[in-house]
Amino acid sequence: MSNLRRNSLTDWIADRYQNRFWAQLVSLLGPSLGWMALFFIGPLLIMLVFSFAKRGVYGEVNYAFSFDNYLQSLKSIYILIYWRSIWIAVVTTLLCLLISYPIAYYIAIKAPKKWRSVLLVLAVVPFWTSFLIRTYAWILLLRTEGLINNFLIQADLINVPLKLLYTDWAVLIGLVYGELPFMILPLYASIEKLDTRLLEAAMDLGANRISTFFQVTVPLTKVGILTGIILVFIPSLGCFVTSDLLGGSKSIMIGNLIQNQFIQRNQPFGSALSFLLTALVLILLWIGLRAGAKPE
Amino acid sequence: MRKLSENLWLKIASLLVYFFLYAPIIVLVAFSFNDSKLSTVWKGFTWKWYVTAWQNRSIVESVRTSLIVATLSTVIATIIGTLAALAMVRYRSKLISFFSPIFYLPIIIPEIVIGFATVIFFGLFGLKLGLSTVVIAHVAFSLSYVIFVVRARLAGMPSVFEQAAMDLGANELQTFFLVTLPLLAPGIISAALLVFTLSLDDYVITSFVAGSGTTTLPLQIYSMVKTGVTPEVNAVSSILLLVTIALVFVSQQFEKDRPSKLAYISATIAIVALSVFAIGGSTKETNRRQLNLYIWSNYASKQLIEDFEKRYNAKVRVEIFDSNEALLAKLQTGLVDYDIIVPSDYMVTILIKQGLVQPIERERLTNLNNIDPRFLGLPFDPENRYSVPYTWGTSGIGYRKDKIAEIPDSWAVMMDNRYKDRIAMLNDVRENFAFALKLKGYSLNSTSPEEIEAAAKILKEQKPLVRAYDSDAFTELLVSGDVWLVQGYSGQLGKAVLEYSNIGYVIPKEGATIWTDNICIPKTAQDPDLAVTFINYILEAEVAAENSNTTGYPTPNGAARQMIKPEMLNSPASYPPEATLRRCEFLRDLGQTIQLYDLHWTEIKSQ
Repeated sequence: MSNLRRNSLTDWIADRYQNRFWAQLVSLLGPSLGWMALFFIGPLLIMLVFSFAKRGVYGEVNYAFSFDNYLQSLKSIYILIYWRSIWIAVVTTLLCLLISYPIAYYIAIKAPKKWRSVLLVLAVVPFWTSFLIRTYAWILLLRTEGLINNFLIQADLINVPLKLLYTDWAVLIGLVYGELPFMILPLYASIEKLDTRLLEAAMDLGANRISTFFQVTVPLTKVGILTGIILVFIPSLGCFVTSDLLGGSKSIMIGNLIQNQFIQRNQPFGSALSFLLTALVLILLWIGLRAGAKPE
Repeated sequence: MRKLSENLWLKIASLLVYFFLYAPIIVLVAFSFNDSKLSTVWKGFTWKWYVTAWQNRSIVESVRTSLIVATLSTVIATIIGTLAALAMVRYRSKLISFFSPIFYLPIIIPEIVIGFATVIFFGLFGLKLGLSTVVIAHVAFSLSYVIFVVRARLAGMPSVFEQAAMDLGANELQTFFLVTLPLLAPGIISAALLVFTLSLDDYVITSFVAGSGTTTLPLQIYSMVKTGVTPEVNAVSSILLLVTIALVFVSQQFEKDRPSKLAYISATIAIVALSVFAIGGSTKETNRRQLNLYIWSNYASKQLIEDFEKRYNAKVRVEIFDSNEALLAKLQTGLVDYDIIVPSDYMVTILIKQGLVQPIERERLTNLNNIDPRFLGLPFDPENRYSVPYTWGTSGIGYRKDKIAEIPDSWAVMMDNRYKDRIAMLNDVRENFAFALKLKGYSLNSTSPEEIEAAAKILKEQKPLVRAYDSDAFTELLVSGDVWLVQGYSGQLGKAVLEYSNIGYVIPKEGATIWTDNICIPKTAQDPDLAVTFINYILEAEVAAENSNTTGYPTPNGAARQMIKPEMLNSPASYPPEATLRRCEFLRDLGQTIQLYDLHWTEIKSQ
């Protein structure tokens, strides 16, 4: 009898504790989760439904289940666009990596200690200015009678202005410029943790500079490299403003294609394209994370 | 020795990267002080662009809108994000590990997808696009950042202090407010500043979910960059740069373990000042009637707007669209409440068919007979029940007289290999096909698949010669010398012909598009009564003449003609002779066939 009472008492306490635990947890986590569920996951789910619907004559949405949008998105002209987008995103990512590694390495290891944090902040400050404005600045530099051409002509290096603006190069420059900090920061974070004694050890054991770099430094900073690649690749893949402003709207990327579906009032097709883009990103991310997780 | 050379090499590489990072920004700031309208030649120091930017109402209003949006988003996201971060660090539950991946999504999913999905969602639930939709979207994408920043701070914070407080008899709330919150404050503040900057800077998502009255600064800058006329953009950008650097500096202070008092004080002052500015600005003039104008850029003169406001004690809010299709897309969401829109002819047909515009009370339009009868009863709205012509013009060829020897009076010049990379076309399906169809001798409203196919072939052939497709900045491209030949609207080009002696405009002999832009009242207008008053006001001869003289667009207002600047009236670019106009054709709505055009256009753009 007393045993039973004691049991029910502990149960009661545990219960009460449990309820409070849940009440607190829900009231803390609830608002954020609710907001995300309603205004982030909700829209994505509706988009998923839309991607199986059909466009009406005047752009209204007819709910009829079909895979037409996905089939349409496999047409060769669209494949060309995806290919171009992926290609540009890959080159952007590689250029970012190539440019960022030396500077991140310098800041993290070679620069005088007291300067390190200043140098890092300096590398990130441009990222805090409006990205539209940064893109606009490049228009000023790249146009036919822009600063770069004027300088080159005055320095007698060229006679005829170079074609800089409205080329794929201009788009690449704009993207690299915009995404660079996303590469520098993670690289810095992982190079900073690098134990330089390991590099000395490798050299002492007879490795040359290049093999030390590729066989010791790179593997040890792999996490930073992968994080940087992911952070740069995703926005480059979905970009549409840069290709508009610096590429002269000549060649469109997936981002522009999706944007055009909104303007051409084909929401179902735009939804399908959005899902393909998201799926592409998730698959690449998964591959990247697996590649990163393997050695551990 | 070898070590030194490696160091040197790294130093040079780093210096180059810093140069790459800062050169554009320095140039941008430097040219905000340049005493020349053309943004690439230095002509001396001036402050005037800062003054004109400050006097430019749409800029000032967009700054205010951005501040309101950023403040609201920051407050909401910071509070609920901090709570979630607390839950995630201090509580152990399967629920958390199950749900927390959701918060990674905004970082993983491309912005364009988020924007597209969100506007579809709002459309489905009929939520009017405006301040609330922008704030909702901004909170949704910035919550994750708050959670990450605050969680990082919490994770590095031992819970011994909280336990000690509890042991000493504080209850949970006391512990939270007296111990946890003060310890967490630096993390929370730096998260808040991050959200503030993200919100202040967002363009992509905002461009989808913004409605009337929510043109944020990035949207405003985008339309200025697109039409890119004056260094005002540079001035605004420089100020914005200064503000963000200040914010970053403050937030850096808070990332340290013990931020100085100064940092706290300056952050408080900054936040209070911004909120006062934002809130004070928004409630100032609520007693006046408001007219929401959705119009092309540089289409209504400052005087036209201000005189109307004075005479009718109203407030006019002007917002810009850059294509008929973008206008349609916004109206079709059914979520915007513009009172006046200015679609082109063929778009009027579509808007009427879709029931997106309402009939205008004709009996109140006492000034309608000022309009030249040639512009009344046009096929897209035979009885002018829904629309009143506002401006008109043609889409022809603008060219540099100093670079092109002969007058380019045929579209064939746009296919001339000698001008490779010196040609710009409008970024518009219909106008590009109009060029190609006319070159072939077809109607620019062709619905025959063979003719459209043939036109598409021409456009494909032409593409390697084209430097850019641009519907906004074609005049600037011509003036700056980037291109020598542009397909463009006679409005801006006609103005350029008067301003620059080396610029010419022709309507090719094969014919071209003639268009009218028309005033309509959307079905969802908030104050249709005031809208009719406005329409009758702009039909007044003096008003129409002043507007035409200032903006450079020809007016269909016959009574206004005698007050138009003579040089404009006599310029064949602005007012072409009757015989030339007879070669021109209006664009008509093509119904389903437009999808064929769109498909070809996408194909051309995919190469």
